[in-house]
Amino acid sequence: MTIFDFYIFDRNGTCLCYAEWNRKKQSGISKDEEYKLMYGMLFSIKSFVNRISPTDIKDGFLNFKTSKYMLHFYETPSGLKLIMNTDLGAGSMRDVLHQIYSTIYVEYVVKNPLCELDKPILSELFKSKLDEFIRSLPVFASKVS
Amino acid sequence: MADEILFELLHMEIVGHLQRSSQKDEQDQCIAKLESIGFRIGQSLAERFTRDCSRFKDELDTMKFVCKDFWNTVYKKQIDNLRTNHQGVYVLQDNRFRFLTHISSGKQYMEAAPKYLALPCGMIRGALANLGVNCVVTAEVSTMPACKFQIQIQRG
Repeated sequence: MTIFDFYIFDRNGTCLCYAEWNRKKQSGISKDEEYKLMYGMLFSIKSFVNRISPTDIKDGFLNFKTSKYMLHFYETPSGLKLIMNTDLGAGSMRDVLHQIYSTIYVEYVVKNPLCELDKPILSELFKSKLDEFIRSLPVFASKVS
Repeated sequence: MADEILFELLHMEIVGHLQRSSQKDEQDQCIAKLESIGFRIGQSLAERFTRDCSRFKDELDTMKFVCKDFWNTVYKKQIDNLRTNHQGVYVLQDNRFRFLTHISSGKQYMEAAPKYLALPCGMIRGALANLGVNCVVTAEVSTMPACKFQIQIQRG
């Protein structure tokens, strides 16, 4: 069980944070293009899912799965989008993403007067706390299953 | 008691606002303004907190009050270390200063740290002034989030 990588986007589409741990294959395009692609795709999927839904919408888009990896999505009421790619043994990461938001993002970015909210996050403290947290999760291991 | 986050956010914004609304060559005035805001806050806080206490025996006692009760009420913790040379200079060391813990743990953002310590310095000076101790308070940071406040008593 492992975590491959992690993105945070704000409500305007700016990528505030990107971190990877065990990513074996790169996407072949530049990082900026990858972020734009990711954000655009999520925006479209979210609106598609809500539109086509045959019943009342509760949470909307949660995740998608392929035979090798799963992409988890969590959006906060303030429009911040947290995305995590894990392998298939991970289960629901919604609580993990929520915890990252409340204990790491809010503590070390929102409460940091030197971090501007709509610019990429430069605080090293945030990055080290995020890294520490991800590595401490039971889902994270260095061998790919 | 109101949530602690309110004080932290308000302080963050006061510092940010003073910085944004001052001209390029008036940066030092920002620190002075913050210190005088803190002075006034400290004066009133000292009145409020010592309502039920008896008079302090001596200067050292007043310092201990600052370290324990005052720090506890404002920052929800006590000072970690108090040193003195018994000649009017006291050094208060806080290893996890509330306003600095969320900024960095190490060397990043070091240049911005003094601005966030100006108001607390003023608070200490104001509280002590109202308790009858005139002094000069400065702060220094070597590694975040630990910081040292140096208090120099003015005599005569």
